[in-house]
Amino acid sequence: MNRRTFLKIAGMGSIAFAAGCSADPEKTLYSLVQAPDDMVTGQPQWYAATCRECPAGCGILAKNREGRVIKVEGNPLHPVNRGKLCIRGQAALQGIYDPDRITAPMLREGEVWRPIGWGEAAGLLRDRGSAAARRGGGRVRMLTEVVGTPFAQLATEALAAWNAPAPLAFETFGYESLKTANHLAFGVEGLVGYRLEQADLLLGFGADFLDTWLSPVEFARRFKRMHAFNGREKGLFIHVAPFQSVTAANADRWVGCRPGSEAVVALGLLQVALDVGRADHLPTDLRAALEHALTPFHRERVLAQADIPSETYDRVIQRLFNARRPLVLPTSAAPAGGNGLAANLAANLLNRVLDPTLAGLDFGCRYRVESAARRQEVQGLVDEVRGGEVDLLLVNNTNPCYALPPGSGVAEALARPGVFVVSFSNVMDDTTARSHMVLPVRLPLESWDLYDGVQGQPGVLQPAMGRLTEAPLLGDVLLETAFAQGRPAEGYKAYLARWLARRGAVATDADWVTLFQQGGLFTPPAEVPPPAFSPDPAAVAAVVAAVVDPAPGPIWLAAPSIRYFDGRGANRAWLQEVPDPLTAVAWQNPILLHPETAADFGLQPGDRVRVEGAGARLEAPLYIWEGVQPDALVMAAGLGHEAYGRYAAGRGANPLALLAPETDPADGGPLWGLRQPVLTRIGEGVVAHADGSRLQHGRKIAVSVPLEDLAGTHAAAPHAAGLTMESFPLTLPLPEGYDPQRDFYPAHDHEGYRWSLVVDLDRCIGCGACAGACYAENNLGVVGERRMIEGREMAWLQVQRYLDPDRPERVLFLPMMCQHCDNAPCESVCPVYAPHHDKEGLNNQIYNRCIGTRFCVQNCPYKVRRFNWFTWQWPDPLPLQLNPDVTVRAKGVMEKCSFCVQRIKAGHNAAKNAKRPIRDGEVTPACAQTCPTEALVFGNLMDPASRVRRMVDDPRAYQVMGYLNTKPAVIYLKKVVQEV
Amino acid sequence: MSELTFATIDQTVLDTLEPGGRRYWTLIAVLFGGVLLGAACWTYQIFVGVGVAGMNNPVAWGTYLINFVFWVGIAHSGTLISAILHLFRAGWRNPIARAAETMTVFAVCTAGLFPFIHLGRAWMVYYMLPLPNQRNLWPNFQSPLMFDVVAISTYLTVSSLFWYTGLLPDLAIVRDRATGFRRQVFSVLSLGWTGRFEHWRHYTRGYLFFAALATPLVISVHSVVSWDFALGVVPGWHTTIFAPYFVAGAIHSGLAMVLTLMIPLRRIFQFEKIITTHVLESVAKTIVFTGLIVGFAYGTEFFIAWYSHNPLEQYIFLYRPTGDFRVGFWIMVVCNTMIPLLFFFKPVRTSIPWLLGISICVNVGMWYERFVIIVTSVARDFIPYAWGLFTPSPVEFGIMIGSFSLFFFLFCLFVKHMPSVSMTEMKETLE
Repeated sequence: MNRRTFLKIAGMGSIAFAAGCSADPEKTLYSLVQAPDDMVTGQPQWYAATCRECPAGCGILAKNREGRVIKVEGNPLHPVNRGKLCIRGQAALQGIYDPDRITAPMLREGEVWRPIGWGEAAGLLRDRGSAAARRGGGRVRMLTEVVGTPFAQLATEALAAWNAPAPLAFETFGYESLKTANHLAFGVEGLVGYRLEQADLLLGFGADFLDTWLSPVEFARRFKRMHAFNGREKGLFIHVAPFQSVTAANADRWVGCRPGSEAVVALGLLQVALDVGRADHLPTDLRAALEHALTPFHRERVLAQADIPSETYDRVIQRLFNARRPLVLPTSAAPAGGNGLAANLAANLLNRVLDPTLAGLDFGCRYRVESAARRQEVQGLVDEVRGGEVDLLLVNNTNPCYALPPGSGVAEALARPGVFVVSFSNVMDDTTARSHMVLPVRLPLESWDLYDGVQGQPGVLQPAMGRLTEAPLLGDVLLETAFAQGRPAEGYKAYLARWLARRGAVATDADWVTLFQQGGLFTPPAEVPPPAFSPDPAAVAAVVAAVVDPAPGPIWLAAPSIRYFDGRGANRAWLQEVPDPLTAVAWQNPILLHPETAADFGLQPGDRVRVEGAGARLEAPLYIWEGVQPDALVMAAGLGHEAYGRYAAGRGANPLALLAPETDPADGGPLWGLRQPVLTRIGEGVVAHADGSRLQHGRKIAVSVPLEDLAGTHAAAPHAAGLTMESFPLTLPLPEGYDPQRDFYPAHDHEGYRWSLVVDLDRCIGCGACAGACYAENNLGVVGERRMIEGREMAWLQVQRYLDPDRPERVLFLPMMCQHCDNAPCESVCPVYAPHHDKEGLNNQIYNRCIGTRFCVQNCPYKVRRFNWFTWQWPDPLPLQLNPDVTVRAKGVMEKCSFCVQRIKAGHNAAKNAKRPIRDGEVTPACAQTCPTEALVFGNLMDPASRVRRMVDDPRAYQVMGYLNTKPAVIYLKKVVQEV
Repeated sequence: MSELTFATIDQTVLDTLEPGGRRYWTLIAVLFGGVLLGAACWTYQIFVGVGVAGMNNPVAWGTYLINFVFWVGIAHSGTLISAILHLFRAGWRNPIARAAETMTVFAVCTAGLFPFIHLGRAWMVYYMLPLPNQRNLWPNFQSPLMFDVVAISTYLTVSSLFWYTGLLPDLAIVRDRATGFRRQVFSVLSLGWTGRFEHWRHYTRGYLFFAALATPLVISVHSVVSWDFALGVVPGWHTTIFAPYFVAGAIHSGLAMVLTLMIPLRRIFQFEKIITTHVLESVAKTIVFTGLIVGFAYGTEFFIAWYSHNPLEQYIFLYRPTGDFRVGFWIMVVCNTMIPLLFFFKPVRTSIPWLLGISICVNVGMWYERFVIIVTSVARDFIPYAWGLFTPSPVEFGIMIGSFSLFFFLFCLFVKHMPSVSMTEMKETLE
């Protein structure tokens, strides 16, 4: 090499080297030089806040790692949810990290959105507001989601400063008929609590209290206190409704009734109560009025109109009137087919008749969602806007363009010249897309606020992480723009502090810190006795007389969704990815149709269908399902957004759009059903369902046991020793589970711990919160609709749903995750030891060692291993949510449930520091942590005092496919079923 | 064989080594194009992920392993013909032994690619080798896949050596007639063979020992491959019949592939006097025998499923003939066990079109046998919620085309450049 060549090579080499370096320096959310006081690298910080994914207002603890929230869990101190969270709460994080989040204000110019500055946006709002206020009263209006009391007060003040009435809280599911019925029956203008746990019999008329109704996490806990097998007995739950929700699937008997006939059944039962003399304690005039009004609700009418078998009706009557502490629950939030008010009123009156003290109702508990405006009022506002009576419309995190049917004219109203619509949304949703300016505000996990889901039990909100956008608090925006002079406070945080101080809640700074550490003011409210109120006989009789006959024939129903709620969850990828508990369908909302109805329409499973009604149409695949009454065509609300980010826009169909725009004059609520929809087959549809079969095919997977069989069973369980699927004994994953007759290899030597999970199927309600928590905790890839159809979902935990082949309305849920077998079929077949049995019994998957032969999943009898077919994508900023304690897996490796090994390791560290063994209950996997009914219990089988060790002695204990001698460490307790 | 002399044998075989014509090179180019297609598909899969294939949960093994088992099966009859029939002194094997052994070597090579293609992380495949490392991580010799690594590599080594040993005297014949560069090449390849008494003595001894050594391998390799399945717990896999069943099936498919290859070969190379109808007829008779074993195995599986009272076994054996993949099942049954029975009729087994047609049917049927075993069993195994179906993707078809192209590409190159009939062994039959 000569000198010239050397210089050439050296020059080229150094240029190439320099060009290879990235010009973008690493961006970090925090600097160790100027780290916040409470941030320790590697240590999570927990901030108490309140979940705002639905109006229930559960308390949450947000887990902050290195400056970003990576997980939310329930706040154990919060009286509503007591440390538990539903799947929507788990997915709240994805709101902050939504890749389509709007980061700066924008002004719409024609079809183009032009980014503007924060000051310009606030200035526009101020100018428009003051201009409107100058033109006259009521020209500034605000439509908001249900908000906490202090913000509602501030918004009222702000609007008053603009010379306008208080904001309207808009909820898609506004409980109008229940509020009216409570007013008529109890004299209470609002929504009261239900003490499910005190009842021995629940009779529901559609209230899906385990799905979305009022406060599902709270009700799940209360429900299982009466309905879980306690060793001797369990309460009874009968659900009368046109279709199966998760709640109905948990009933001992789901009585399918024609939509709209819930009222007829309830009034029929009321009439029986009068007949058998249970109503003698009622005031004479009321009783007389009822006797007169209820005459038409004789048995024959009930049976004919509700389309229920007479034997079933007789059993319901017998059970209801023999119960000691029965509690009747009202209808769902969307009672279809008319008669919603009558059904709710009848349910209230039944409670009054069956228990004169009304002990099952908690009048001290008033749900905040009662502050939602009636649909009539919302429609009135829409009409005002359309009529040109409004100049400035403020929309706070609510989506009327999605929730109101097209006939309501909401789109026309927003498009009316002269009205300026400002949306405070962080996502370009259906309404925001039609607004004129979008001014994103801070999301709940970034805000200072207070929300009282239950009156008198306010939970606080505080920023749980640094802000990802410059968005201000909505309270600050209002304070800055609405008040020309005499601003009530400098900022919303100060306003809030003043509000709290005025109520005596916060006197000192120490009180403030305590309040925000514990997450709210949780002093138990005083017991409120039932109001001394006697229903007005004439009003009651009028409602009863107004009951219309539920005509036979197809009727279109929009059901609240346990995953999307009213549609606000549709942009959370986890909620799309975790399948619906009953249909096992992900990323879609198919039309649920009874097989008989499908046959009547000449439709086949897998058809794609067009439905027309009330001036709108939609297209969706069919899902043939026995869990709907033959007259009902049910579709879960929540999908079919025109805009709402990449996960929601254009996906599925919006069942609300088919409904009539008129409201029910009796209660001001929407008309939830649409009669005689027109169905046309338009081709082949593909349903993205996660299940392979709805039935167990006679296998011992999800097992139930009749209550009678357990009565008198003692500790000596029928552990009949045999080798068949039925007779194989429970073999614990411990040395005692090894038998030289059966086992070739010796037992594993475990050191101190043998982790195990006990799943009580009698407590599992199938809600899917565990699956959602698993996605959040373990960085599971979201695969999307196409991959879901291909069968590539990555769920480490699936809540499997099985139907009884003879009685398909009987649903069994079975959470299925890695069984951490002691004798694991996956371990022996891997050529490179990637599945590894550790000394605490965990079946660990060593990602770095895995070469992807996929023999393990082929040999796994439980099919719980998940292969990374691709490198899954987390669009920015979703990677900020990833749990730094859990590896993100690349393509080509196998993964599966690890029993949250990162939490076990954290438990080991804490125990080692304290020089003690890990205590029972100290380590909890994400699934067990969030389970609203505590169906999952995790612990150490080698500890004779641990909960899991005691639970495996239950006569109900069994192992799925135990006869393979895999010795699973996940031990199931059979579901206890009873006949009604 | 009376018309054959040493000279005519040499001449007929050596004529095939004349430079190929335009049609030959066109064929080679087309096959090479197929190989490139397969390589491109594999490259794409490596970059994007195994998800580009049609596999899913629960069917995590698809056409890659079907093709693997298929090609390993094809590889069987070569050694059967050259080793076992050699030991049994079945004279009719001599004309086809060379081609069959060649088929074996190339089929094993093709088969050996598929486990790599199948892997999620093919670039980490060296983890399967017992390499010393600081973490003392060792391969898991409990795993049937490790058995495979050992069995297949042993089989490839032994069958290659056996094949090469048999080639030696023929290579020397070619060397003696060749000129120029070819002479140099064949001089090296024939390892200095001069045909001395000592050479012949060592050669025949060595050949016999190799035959004896290779014979158990014929049985063991496919037995080991069958344990990939039989050692699993999956209903439809977990059965003791698998080893003999797979070996019989492998020989069945291998013999059919021999017919598929020999019939065009004898036509193109005018081997009619060497590879006589009698030879083909003998292969056909053996196919009848293996077909009956395979049919018996199918029947046994159904009987045992019924007899076991195990609902899962019963379900899967009801599912195969009636479920989603029933077409594959019936192709398998008809092609493997029924159509070969036509060879009972002498006019059929002596008719060249019938022989070719039936042999192709058996090849198709045996491919479907592996499809039925691999796919249907896991598609409907223990947990009904996890059940799923499988459809091969375009990438899988591309790789399958690539594998067939590779096999025929190598075989076509061989027959035109090496003696595809063993002149030495043909001459033995003349004495």
